[in-house]
Amino acid sequence: MGVISTSSRDAVARPVMARVPLVKATILGAVVLLLVLLVVQPFGWVLFNSLHDDATGAWTLNNYARVVQSADLIEPLVNSLVLAAATALIAVGIGVPLAWLVSRTDLPFRRSIRVLTLTAFVTPSFIGATGWILLAAPNSGWLNTAWRWLAGEGAGAPLNIYSMAGAVFVCGIYTVPYSFTMVSSALDEMAVELEDAATTLGCGVLRTMVSITIPLAAPAVIASFILSFIQGLTLFGVPAFLLTPTGIPVVTTKLAEFYQLFPPEIYLAAAYCMPLLLVTGALFWMRRRYLGRKQYVTISGKTRAGRQIHLGAWRWPALFLALLLPTVAVFLPYAALLLVSLTRAWGLGLSWENLSLYWYWWAIFGNSETHTAIVNSLVYSTLGATLCVALGTLVAYIVERRMMPGASLLGAVATVPIIIPGIVLSVGFFAAYTRAPFNLYGTPLLLIAAFAATFLPIAYAHGGSILKGIGPELERAARSLGAGEARTFLAVTLPLMGGGLVSGWFLVFIPIIRELSVAVFLITPKTNVMTTLIYNAKDGGNYEAVCAMSVLLLLITLLLVAIARPLAGLTGARRTSRKTATAAGVPS
Amino acid sequence: MTDISRRGLLKTGGLVGTALLSGGLAGTGFARLATAQDDPLYAAARKEGALTLYWGSYEQQTMEAIRDAFKAKYPGIEVQLLRQASQTVYTRLRLELQNGVAECDSLGTTNLLHYTELKKIGALAAYEPPDAAMLPAAFKGLDKDAMYHVGAISLTSINYAPGKVAAPPTSWMALLEDQWKGKITTGSPAFSGDVASWVVAIRRKYGDDYLRRFGQQKPKVGQSNVDTVTDILAGERVVGSGAPFSYTLTQKAAGNPIDVSVPTDDAILNLGLTGIPAKAPHPNAARLFTNFLYSKEVSDILSRNFWPTLRTDVAWAEGRSLDQMKWFRNTGDDLAAEVAEGIAKWKELVR
Repeated sequence: MGVISTSSRDAVARPVMARVPLVKATILGAVVLLLVLLVVQPFGWVLFNSLHDDATGAWTLNNYARVVQSADLIEPLVNSLVLAAATALIAVGIGVPLAWLVSRTDLPFRRSIRVLTLTAFVTPSFIGATGWILLAAPNSGWLNTAWRWLAGEGAGAPLNIYSMAGAVFVCGIYTVPYSFTMVSSALDEMAVELEDAATTLGCGVLRTMVSITIPLAAPAVIASFILSFIQGLTLFGVPAFLLTPTGIPVVTTKLAEFYQLFPPEIYLAAAYCMPLLLVTGALFWMRRRYLGRKQYVTISGKTRAGRQIHLGAWRWPALFLALLLPTVAVFLPYAALLLVSLTRAWGLGLSWENLSLYWYWWAIFGNSETHTAIVNSLVYSTLGATLCVALGTLVAYIVERRMMPGASLLGAVATVPIIIPGIVLSVGFFAAYTRAPFNLYGTPLLLIAAFAATFLPIAYAHGGSILKGIGPELERAARSLGAGEARTFLAVTLPLMGGGLVSGWFLVFIPIIRELSVAVFLITPKTNVMTTLIYNAKDGGNYEAVCAMSVLLLLITLLLVAIARPLAGLTGARRTSRKTATAAGVPS
Repeated sequence: MTDISRRGLLKTGGLVGTALLSGGLAGTGFARLATAQDDPLYAAARKEGALTLYWGSYEQQTMEAIRDAFKAKYPGIEVQLLRQASQTVYTRLRLELQNGVAECDSLGTTNLLHYTELKKIGALAAYEPPDAAMLPAAFKGLDKDAMYHVGAISLTSINYAPGKVAAPPTSWMALLEDQWKGKITTGSPAFSGDVASWVVAIRRKYGDDYLRRFGQQKPKVGQSNVDTVTDILAGERVVGSGAPFSYTLTQKAAGNPIDVSVPTDDAILNLGLTGIPAKAPHPNAARLFTNFLYSKEVSDILSRNFWPTLRTDVAWAEGRSLDQMKWFRNTGDDLAAEVAEGIAKWKELVR
């Protein structure tokens, strides 16, 4: 996959030195300070905890010794790696072709498929798992029942969701949105000269896609593979629901056991996360080896806007394929959830007498906590995502343009939080922010900071993969015309990133809205969020309420996405790059 | 309303106004306020003006009902309820203690060990709630220093699907019969305190051989024992072991096809406890709430939600009572070790 070099590495690496060091120094200083506050400090507490004994509180290496010596603790690590690798393969295997279909072809209903993929993203994994339990539990799953009805009573159960395959499937389909969003925004930004060249030289659509388009999107594909892998490592809900009944332990369910013990082994849990850091570190190292020598710049001074590929006779078969993901990740499980939420008592099954909107009434009006929780969820997600994307983009810019010595270290720091499972990170945030001088306990700021920090790696990875596609020529032109670095970034780079940033914002906003574990020790009665309430209802076995609140959470998020669509359209990538290109005097 | 002084309130006009505001009928509100007003503890609690509850006992719905009843009876105290799983609540309190934060006024969790540990480090305050006199005799005076008290009575039994089971198993031993092979659902002792209590009790009664034979029945093991109800309602399994008594009855009352079978070889009884942290920011409000737990109002709420009541003079739902059933409670000083051993044996023998 030898790819295209539009300029030498050194030229990208060293932009003209700053003429206003003060502004630059202030911004760099602020970014470093924020990273220290949001990431280094809480993670430092996790590290500090991992080196202490749970019973005595004394310094010790014993936690690490237990992790490497006990077979009981190694088995979950191996299972987690299998789950994560399989999840990432599914996510990329489905997400990348789907992104290509939606971004580059005349596939019918492209917009709907984009929205439906986002819908899959909105679903908290434990809700998705619940939906699939209703569908594919061996004895009672509706799909299995339907199969027995078709094939005869003795036909057995073709599907068993309580298995490693089941967990991989559910983790995979709910992780596809990561790869889909990241790769589709890379494809949206990408210029088409090289594709045109391939077509001119007689390449078919498929060959062009495989040998030009996808390799050009490699930074996004690889970043999304790594994120999906991490997602597979750190998800709790799916393995807790689907793997506990089969007796397959993974790291996150083992962590939950540490917290459930008396006394809880919180410090051991901290040490138990460190192998995850090593594995993820190795992935990033491999990425660097792979991407490091190549260039992926496609937006440059000569850019033209994108072009649609006509699928012709393949349009409808392609639509069928593109609808598979929404079917398994949205239509089927939400149909199950919706049916349960509409019954007064779901054990009675479907009948007219049992149909009721009671649980929706209860969720909206009958429960005083829901109102606060909905407002809190929305406010924290909006502010958290904004802070997160601003910081992540700045860090990505500093790293990609190597604006300071040790810039790649900043990138490494910005990547750490997502690797630490939420329940452990929550303890780190607690220690970091509740003490003086911060004293943030009980304030919204605590949750906003924790959410922004947790999902910083997504914003950073996404920002980085967009920036890799934007050549420095336009920035240099601005600089040579006298603009400072800050002005160049604001007037040239940021607009070029435009649509990608909006999709990046959703890529952070949505996980925050559905996040559960990070908040577990940080919420207080006044700062409660929607997912805690849903989990409490699940904890109390109130499935009708769980399903009704999940459907509501989905509707609210979709509504927001719908409101934000015109905004995304305004800053849409093509239009911006076309405008920029026109402004730069290039006919489009 | 918190701005109005007590003296001002005592004036008739203020009283009637407050009674009207409190949402009750003026007459009953007046009477209620008049008696509450005489209580010096209420006066002190009103001065504090707020109360924060950290509770894991009882599910959200029951806990909210208790909170609302308290607010109705004692207006002028703003109540914050944090309802999370017992172990989460405890871990959070420990984090607060380590980091020098004091938010919690009343702790309510399902594990006695939380309280013996907190007492050991001097983190609990003593209080003798006068209304606890009406508790069943077996649960009075749990701690000789009055640092913690019963907050909830939780029973673990068998549950089943009436339409799909001709005759439900009537004892833990009966669950080992061939007919229940592949039909049982249960929770995991590693995730559920109730199931852990069940494992400890069953090992005391029948030894590890029971666990071995139970494992041969191929039970479906979920996380919480609430999952037994889910599995039965969904039709995934027909009989639940180590199942939640009160919650099953709630679901039955909601119209779901499920019922309990109280085992003849003892329902397992687990106590939820409650205590007031030594550094509670609103200690008087905390005392007022602790005493309120043993009021008729709360026991009525518990009865309505199919929980065992905390007063001998308030009957349980469906006319049940503790005297009608055989029950067993794990006691002893080394429960923590026994739980750990039970979980290890479970992993070895059941899965």
